[in-house]
Formats: sequence, C-alpha cells, structure tokens
Amino acid sequence: MPQSRIVVVDDDPDIVEAVKVVLECNDFTVMTANNKEDGLALIRAEKPDLAVLDVMMTKWQDGFEMARELKKDSDFKDMPILMLTGVEDKTGLEFKSAAGDPDWLPVNGFLDKPVEPETLIAEVKKLLAK
Amino acid sequence: MEPIPQDLRLLRRAYWLIRLRWVAVAALSMAIFFASKVVGLALQCEVLYGIAGFLGIYNLLVYILLRYFGRSDDDEGDQFPIRSIKAIVNLQISVDLLTLTILMHFSGGIKNPFIVFFVFHMILSSILLSPKESYLQATFASVLIGLMAYLEQTTLHHYCLEGSIRLVSVSNDLTIFGITCENMYIMGVVAVMSCTFNLVVFITCSISTQLRKQEQGYWLANIELEQKDRIKDEYVSRVTHDIKGHLAAIQSSLDVVSKGMLGPLNERQSEFIGRAGERTRTLATFVRALLRLTRLRLSDSVDKQQFCLDETIRNCVEAARLKASDKTIELTSVVELSDSKVFGEQLSIEEMITNLVLNSVKYTPAGGKVEVVAKRDGDHVVITISDTGIGIPKKELPRVFDEFFRASNARATERDGTGLGLSLARQIVKRHEGKISVESEIGRGTTFTIELPLID
Repeated sequence: MPQSRIVVVDDDPDIVEAVKVVLECNDFTVMTANNKEDGLALIRAEKPDLAVLDVMMTKWQDGFEMARELKKDSDFKDMPILMLTGVEDKTGLEFKSAAGDPDWLPVNGFLDKPVEPETLIAEVKKLLAK
Repeated sequence: MEPIPQDLRLLRRAYWLIRLRWVAVAALSMAIFFASKVVGLALQCEVLYGIAGFLGIYNLLVYILLRYFGRSDDDEGDQFPIRSIKAIVNLQISVDLLTLTILMHFSGGIKNPFIVFFVFHMILSSILLSPKESYLQATFASVLIGLMAYLEQTTLHHYCLEGSIRLVSVSNDLTIFGITCENMYIMGVVAVMSCTFNLVVFITCSISTQLRKQEQGYWLANIELEQKDRIKDEYVSRVTHDIKGHLAAIQSSLDVVSKGMLGPLNERQSEFIGRAGERTRTLATFVRALLRLTRLRLSDSVDKQQFCLDETIRNCVEAARLKASDKTIELTSVVELSDSKVFGEQLSIEEMITNLVLNSVKYTPAGGKVEVVAKRDGDHVVITISDTGIGIPKKELPRVFDEFFRASNARATERDGTGLGLSLARQIVKRHEGKISVESEIGRGTTFTIELPLID
C-alpha cells in the first residue's frame, strides 16, 4: 500500500514541525506550508490525500477560505480536510457543531490545538479510510 | 453610554403617587365618617363623600393613563415617553391641589386645620418635578387658597365647621385699617401659607437636586468602572490567547519528544520531559478557563436554544462517572424534570454542571458520596450537587465565586486548580438569569444549588 501524502498548513512553524514529526513517525509523507497562498499552491501541485489546516493563519479565517476554495475545486472536493484550531475561545464560535456544514465550514474533521499525537493519528486514519 | 434612568425613576414615582392617593381616598372616607358620626361635626357629608369618590375614579383614570404611556419602556425601549409621564405627574398634582381646595371649601374653608395638607403636596411636587414646575405648583396652590378665601368672603357660601367643637369667632365689629379682623386673619393665613409653600419647595428642591447630582455621579462612576473592567477583559483575552498559542506549540513539541518519536529517552530525560508536559497542561487548562471566562464577560449576545435538561444532567453525571469510581465514590442522581425545557446555551450549562460534579468528586475523600438532584420548583428548575467532601471554611464561603479564589483547604488537598471554575459557573448562571448558591460545613460536605428559569 503506497504511503498516504499529507499537506500541513499552519503559520506557526513549531506546530507544523511537531505535526510533521508525528505524521512521519506513522509512515505518512508530509509536505508543509506556512500560509494560505503557499498552502494552496502546494496542494494543487502535489495533490495530497489529506490536508491539515489551521483556522487562523496570517489573516483571520485564512483556513476557512482555503477550505472553501478547495471544496469548490473539482480536483480537491473529495480530499478530506482536517482543521486544527485554538481559535474557538476567541470567537465564541462552536466549530464542532458546524464542522461538515458544506457551505459554512466545509471540513471533514476538527481538532483543538494542542492535539495529542494519538488523537491526531486516529483522526487522520479515520478520514483517510473514508 | 447608558443614560441615567431618571425617566424610569419618574415612572416608578408616578405609580407611587397613585398608591399614596388610594391611601388618601380611604383615609378621607374614614375621616368624614369619624368627624360626622363620632365627633358630631355638621359636615356636607354627601358632597365630601362625593369628592372621595371622584378622587378614586380620577386615580383609576390616571393609573390607566400611566399604564398606556409607560409601557413603551418594556416593548420598544427606544424612545421613553418622558414628556407624557411628566405631563401626567404635573396634571396629577394640579388636580390634587384643586380637589383639596374644593374639599377645604366644603369643610370649613381656610379654618379647616387640614389645610396644612397643601404642604405635603408641595413636598411631593418638589421631589417629582423640576424646581421650575414645583414653584409653578406652589403659585397655583397659593392662588387657589387665596381665591377660595376671597370667594367665600364675597360670593360663595362659607361652610362653617360647626358641631360639638366650639369655634372661637372673631368679632366682625373690630377693624384695622378698615379691614375686619376676620378678613385680616384670613389674609394672614393665605400669606403665611403662600410663604410656607415656597419655602418648602425651596428646601425640598435643594435637597432633591443635591441627591440627584450625587446619584448621577455614582451612576457615571459606575459606568466608567464597567468600561475599565471591559478594557481589562479585552486585554486579558488578547494576552491569554497569545499565551495559549505558544502553549500549544510547547505542548506539541514536548509530545513529540516524550512519545519517543525523535529517538528513545533515558529514564531521567523521560521524567523531566514528563514534568514539563504536566506543567504545560496545567497552565493550558488555566489559560483556557481564563479565556472562557473573559469571553463570557465580553460577549453580550447569547446563542440560546431550547433544550431538555434531563438528558443534559444525565450526560454531566456520566462524564464524571469514571473519576468517581476510580476514587470509589458513590455518584448518584435523581432527575425529576419530566422533559422541562430551558432556553439557553446547552454546551455552557452542560460544561458548568459537569465541572461542579467533577469538583465534588475531586474534593471528596475515597468512599464518600456525591449526589446530583434536579427538580422542578414552579417556573424554575433547581439543581443541587452535594457531596460528603472536605467542605469549605465558613468565613471563606462568600468568596468562593470570586475569580482566582481557592479555599485554603482545597489548596492544601489539591495543588492544581485554576480558581476559575466557580467564577465561570456564576457567569454562566447569570447569563441565564438564574441563581447559584453554596452551603458547606467543614469536614461534612458542600452543596451547590443552581436555579434556572424554565419554559412552559
């Protein structure tokens, strides 16, 4: 079975690095980007099996916009997106209940930062198996 | 900036005036009865009872009028009809003065000792109205008394207070500067009353104005404090959010090392990474609670929905089940709400009750009991979470809901704790227009009681 390829996009390089190590230790191939534009370019070039996005990158809602853009693209509408965020407390938005709403928050999974390695791996495997 | 609710205060006082008038109607009727039947005064009873009746009807009309004009305060809330309310209060006082004058005319005129009741009306108008309006009312009262005295001496019939009381009559033969003594006396009373009215208005208005200014000062100071508190909350929210981001990165990096993903660790390395991880987790819990609290304090909008409390409370109890059984604590619940619905933030309420139950488990020694009871009480639901735990020292009880406060024995039992859980609970209950209280006895246990309004 070929290794699944995952793109991780987050503006916090430390988080990106930690997530990368966790995923690589579980035999995934990981590519990273630190902002929305690079992330989109990387995803379009590499066509990964899954994308891990942060909600709030350099700009507020960059992650949302990226997810919406990808789901509109016929090449990527079936690619699962896992969203990581520490933003919930700031906005008061209950992301969990909105995750999966195709118009508002078109993501397939949602996890609070910091994510325990086991939780991250379990969620990634679950999304890839679908 | 929120305006000083002087409009609302005027409305409240207008209703107070109506209540006062009901007392006046009853007192007047009794006084007429007493004066005519017991004292034996020859009064114009039919007319006087008629005046009491008129006062009652007029009071009812004013009440209806006030209900009509005062209601927009609740419904629309944008433009309070202050002018209408002021006009109604002015009208009330004027009609009261007129009624009192007619009453005096039919019961002895200026010689009736109850004429001093005009002074009460001056005090009332000075409290309720502006100084200018009060002086106008004082002038109106002086004119009414003067007019009554004049007309009674010239064209109108003068009803003497005759009966068992022997009134001293002044001889009409004596004159001073061509004016009879009786007329002199009447003019004197009118002049003294007029002075008294103006003096009373002056004194009462001075005190009222001073009090109003003081009240306005307190109000403004309070608003300023609230604004400063908000700025502080915004600051705390921004800072803690940044800290949370860094903590997430630290936690993620530590996890990678502690799980051996970058190679095996020796025992000491593992131990110290574990300690760093534990402290980071404690700090993250604290920061999350602080963020949650400031968020609740800062946001005015509440995302409310209808939900059944039964299941929510059962979920809370189940969430604490594992921790309770780990400590061999008997965790029981009695939920008798028969699908009663609450209108609120389900997640917040669930989080709050779960935290309170977990708190009880945390501070109850092994083998103890924790019980959750939810019952309906009229249009409220009462939820109690009681335990057989360590309790809270009596003198510390008033402070348990304060931010960052932890009871001294709680700190001694459990090092970790944010001191924010109960503040969060209080904030959540406040947003739902409910109440939270605590009772505790050291060494015997603690009971938290939450009251939330229900929807029928």
